[in-house]
Amino acid sequence: MTAVTQKPQAELLYEAQLRKERIFRTHVGVTWLVLLMTIVFFFSGQNFLGIKTISLDNIFITENLAFIAGGLGETIRISILSILLAMILALLAALGRLSTFPPFYALSTFYVSLIRGTPLYLQIFFFFLALPQIFPAWATVPGLWAGVLALGMNYGAYMSETFRAGIASVSKGQREAALALGMTPGQTMLRIVIPQALRFAIPPMGNDFIAMTKDSALVSATGFVHELMWRATKVGRAQFNNLEALIVAAVFYWGLTLILTYFQNRLEARMSRGDR
Amino acid sequence: MSAIVKISNLDKYFGRLHVLKDISLEVQPREVVCIIGRSGSGKSTLLRCINFLEEPSHGTIEVDGLIVAGGEKGKEHRQLVHDLRLRTGMVFQDFNLFPHMSVLENVIEGPVTVKKMDRAKAIELAEYNLNNVDMLWKKDEYPNRLSGGQKQRVAIARALTMEPRVMLFDEPTSALDPELIGEVLTVMKKVALEGMTMLVVTHEMGFAKEVADRVVVMADGEIIEDAAPEELFETPKDARTLALIERYRSGSN
Repeated sequence: MTAVTQKPQAELLYEAQLRKERIFRTHVGVTWLVLLMTIVFFFSGQNFLGIKTISLDNIFITENLAFIAGGLGETIRISILSILLAMILALLAALGRLSTFPPFYALSTFYVSLIRGTPLYLQIFFFFLALPQIFPAWATVPGLWAGVLALGMNYGAYMSETFRAGIASVSKGQREAALALGMTPGQTMLRIVIPQALRFAIPPMGNDFIAMTKDSALVSATGFVHELMWRATKVGRAQFNNLEALIVAAVFYWGLTLILTYFQNRLEARMSRGDR
Repeated sequence: MSAIVKISNLDKYFGRLHVLKDISLEVQPREVVCIIGRSGSGKSTLLRCINFLEEPSHGTIEVDGLIVAGGEKGKEHRQLVHDLRLRTGMVFQDFNLFPHMSVLENVIEGPVTVKKMDRAKAIELAEYNLNNVDMLWKKDEYPNRLSGGQKQRVAIARALTMEPRVMLFDEPTSALDPELIGEVLTVMKKVALEGMTMLVVTHEMGFAKEVADRVVVMADGEIIEDAAPEELFETPKDARTLALIERYRSGSN
């Protein structure tokens, strides 16, 4: 036994650590699978050891699956458009919140206060139903845009706080280094502060986007945007198969969330490169 | 030979606190001036007034023929300050490299964004300066992967790539582990030997002795002594200078 063939202690410790993590992840994965199988079992309609499980109307599901799935695109579309609007509004509101010019500061805090002080559900109805009363021309605008406006403005107000914290997290020294190079305050903001603030804001923003895909279901209540939730309730109510319809919609929302979470984790890992 | 930097009757107040008291100082082209003093003596504030990171309350700063008065406001003043900053390069204690940019991107940021220099030309200039501080081999690395000494060398290259007339160093080695100080001082010495005019706020007495043409001692917002290093270190005139030198002797230097 020679020392030459032995691995350094640090490497051995690292390997042991990795092995521990792998075992933990495997156990978590297996438990998830068991829980999932349990739910599937409860809705399987089988009799097992005297337990009578719930049976779903499989014919309804196969007949309406395509119709409900057809709303997936609309759900994604409304979420993407809304998050883009929310990001712009959040950035503007954050800059206003940090402004020393009273009107900008006031506009920003007023917007955030108004939006956060009223329910999202109310805001959605406001943009669909109340706004055309003031501007009749708005009634001809597709329902999608009213939904995007409502969701975007709502999330923009909440996300502005994330952006503000992100901008505040950039040290004074960064600004000074940029100014010393001869950058204008505008260039300093755009090239140095905002990129660093965005990186800080990416993880919470990813969470907001994932939350938004589910809040987009609220838009269905107005009856003009035919996304997942609207389609599920439409066929569910018409045929008294609400249970099946809602389960199908839930599976789609959950699947979408899992996919988005996966991409968010990857994005987060990518963005953390270059962090101090 | 006329002065390249001329500070005239400079005053700086922080609220009611008078931190710089009627300072006047001239620096000749190619001269290396070290500014020493205890913390709170106003030495960093003086340096930061030269490129208006601190706005002087009164007095003027002249760099390479451009005269900017403190305590002014307005668009014209902002333009003057901008022009002044193009004439000066600054190196900070905490490096302040941009963490979201690679080493090369850090160095070309100034020329491309501020001077609107052609990107290829900026890269050429940046690579020349990175090579000069022996950091070209790390050009695609991000700052968080560098040691403190390496970061500071990149920061020096970043300032040099703006082709300033004067370099300002604000305690460039104070945030470094002792074993990393040497590499930064070596690079600074090289920059001095190439003929750059330098103002260096520092605690490194060895560097001041070896590289500086003049050493300026500050205390309580005033310049109390201004002499060649050999003269200053051998026969200090002011008791406070003597006390400062003694402190450094008994310390790590």
